[in-house]
Amino acid sequence: MKVSAPLQVLVPAAVILPLAVVLPGLCHGGGWELIGAFAAGALQPSLDPIVLASLFRGLGVTVGVALVGWALSLLLGLVLGLASSRLVWTTLLGGAWPAELLRRVLALPRSVHELIWGLLLLQVLGLQPAVAVLAIVIPYGALVARVISDQLDALPDQPLQALLAAGSNGPAALISAIAPPLLPGVISYGGYRLECALRSATLLGVFGLGGLGNELLLTLQSLEFRELWSGLWLLLAVMLGLESLIRGLRQRWGMANRFGRSQAGVGRRGQEITLLALALVPLLIAIARSLGIDPAALLQWQALPPMDLDHWREALALPWGRMISNTLGLTLLAACLAVGGAPLLLLLVAPWRLGQLLLRLVWALGRLWPPPLTALLLLFVFKPGIWTAALALGFHNLGILGRLLLEGAESCSDGPETALRGQGVGPRVALLYGRFSGLARSYLAYGAYRSDVILRETVVVGLMAGTGLGSQLQESLSSFAWDQIALLLVVYASLTLVGEDLSDRARRRLL
Amino acid sequence: MPAPVLELRGVRVNGRQQPRLDRIDLSVQPGERIALLGPSGAGKSTLLAVANGLQAMDQGQVLWSGEPIAKGARLRRRQQRRIGTLWQELRLIDELSVQQNLNCGRLAQWGWPRALLNLLLPLETEACSAALRQLDLDPSLLNQSVADLSGGQRQRVAIARLLRQDPVLWLADEPLSSLDPRLAQDLLALLLQQTEAPRALVMSLHRPDLLAGFSRVVGLREGRILFDVPANALKDEALQRLYAGTPAP
Repeated sequence: MKVSAPLQVLVPAAVILPLAVVLPGLCHGGGWELIGAFAAGALQPSLDPIVLASLFRGLGVTVGVALVGWALSLLLGLVLGLASSRLVWTTLLGGAWPAELLRRVLALPRSVHELIWGLLLLQVLGLQPAVAVLAIVIPYGALVARVISDQLDALPDQPLQALLAAGSNGPAALISAIAPPLLPGVISYGGYRLECALRSATLLGVFGLGGLGNELLLTLQSLEFRELWSGLWLLLAVMLGLESLIRGLRQRWGMANRFGRSQAGVGRRGQEITLLALALVPLLIAIARSLGIDPAALLQWQALPPMDLDHWREALALPWGRMISNTLGLTLLAACLAVGGAPLLLLLVAPWRLGQLLLRLVWALGRLWPPPLTALLLLFVFKPGIWTAALALGFHNLGILGRLLLEGAESCSDGPETALRGQGVGPRVALLYGRFSGLARSYLAYGAYRSDVILRETVVVGLMAGTGLGSQLQESLSSFAWDQIALLLVVYASLTLVGEDLSDRARRRLL
Repeated sequence: MPAPVLELRGVRVNGRQQPRLDRIDLSVQPGERIALLGPSGAGKSTLLAVANGLQAMDQGQVLWSGEPIAKGARLRRRQQRRIGTLWQELRLIDELSVQQNLNCGRLAQWGWPRALLNLLLPLETEACSAALRQLDLDPSLLNQSVADLSGGQRQRVAIARLLRQDPVLWLADEPLSSLDPRLAQDLLALLLQQTEAPRALVMSLHRPDLLAGFSRVVGLREGRILFDVPANALKDEALQRLYAGTPAP
């Protein structure tokens, strides 16, 4: 018995069965009227000018933080990516050890979620606008560096060897041989990182680092659902606008989407891209100024409390086994809900155009709605714990994977599905056999990558839903227990690095 | 006299500048094998897409075995089960096994549970083996992935899938155009052999030299029928008029 490709994308959705069994027991009896009021608020967002002005101010901060953080992380990522490329060092020095060393060093900033960076920097630097930007720049820069160095090292080296053999010097040969094939992928990935930066900036706001996220949290905590929805619709409009702008630019510049199937010419419209990049520089400087970012303030560190041996003993006595197993369980549940849920929902609504539109809207909301806020909302009706946290995290990632699935469906051939429709096969079975077969491997490969991201994100919902390492981290942060915080970070970073390695292996097998 | 397997009455499909099909009247009786000739862009693929219900019309009517196309999706799908199409690019599912691809011909008849089960444990092995044998293929191919087959084997598997579907009306959209002469002759012979009455075949092609087994030839140009004659009455002048001003077929 072999599970065929189209069925493989649905297998993770089997997690719905235990969820259906567990869910009724999780209800604590009240709160449904609040959920009803929240849902009703969607249709009646507040149009109060004072509320809207405050939301617009918050949105401006969030978008500003996202843009500055994104641009700096791309710049940092580009430099570190080149510096951690085996190809670059081998060409320049004849050995790749500096690249290997830097890759290992960069694994640490990459493995820690931007929210954790934000909370740590908040302790060290105090509340200032640059904290949110730095919290994005550090992990994103390391992530971009890894993607760039991986792409560089995967490029065929014949053009480079040909230039070196013809007598070109190392740096000139490198620029000529690697820049043209590298840039389209980097720019396409850069667009994706901008969407992520907007989501991260919103999330950082939820945890007190300013912007719209903070407004959303306050309106939710004060049960002002109409005001909450005003903010959500605003954010949705910005997010969808940004996504369609990036999609439009990708198509215009002939660059691959994340399924990598629609690439056209390499380096097309180079002038246009360069001009746009140059125009961004003064804009970003103006945004940074308006946010009140002061680089000098970053040098004023606050002293950390001393750590003594007794405290370490206490830190070691924490229930590590339970925390780690909860974190891993939460990752697995949320990943299954997201990876399996997206194709399952797409199949369910396949016969109805209106259903498909609604699903797109719900997925868009899931993408932009920070998971801790979903967790807070779910806590109105469910008890805190691993399942509630998994639902919150799963919903957010479902939105991301759902859009990926749609992108994949659009980029793979519709021939088999049309053929099945033409012989009278229903829309669901035609979609399952005709479309999911072709995109199953690339979708699951992305799902493997996403699971690794989900593991990193567990700490974010854990802070709210009271489970896993995140829950303990919140307690340790509030009591300034730096020994516990240090240990928690080591364990968390180790887990995410192991997860990253496993997801890499899974992706290599699938692709 | 039985109802025509397919009847097009005054069919029109609008295009950007000129109609892709205009005032098309065509009737296909059981047992007929109709060759659809015409230069590229003449409307052959559009006509076949209208005939299998995948292309909406702007005007006119299509009757399948005497019944107009149903308005409801469920009923229309029931009607479409009687129509099978052989596509130029075959449209097999490379990620599935030969047996699962053959069973795609039965998906319209199966419910959800069987469709899902077929992805786990390929069903109806005997019937699939019989379909392969009918096309001189070894049943040991059933478990192979379609992606591993040769071009000729893929063509035959696509026809075997139609045998599993068992449609009354067989439509074929230029299935011979990318094949070498020998393979094209073999495939045509197979198709003609499988489409005896009560079945009927409508095939678009670019090769006037392969008309021997057809009963009628319909010439299409700029979305209109230029001629509709018995195959043995087709004159060279008609072909010259059909392809006038276009590269030789």
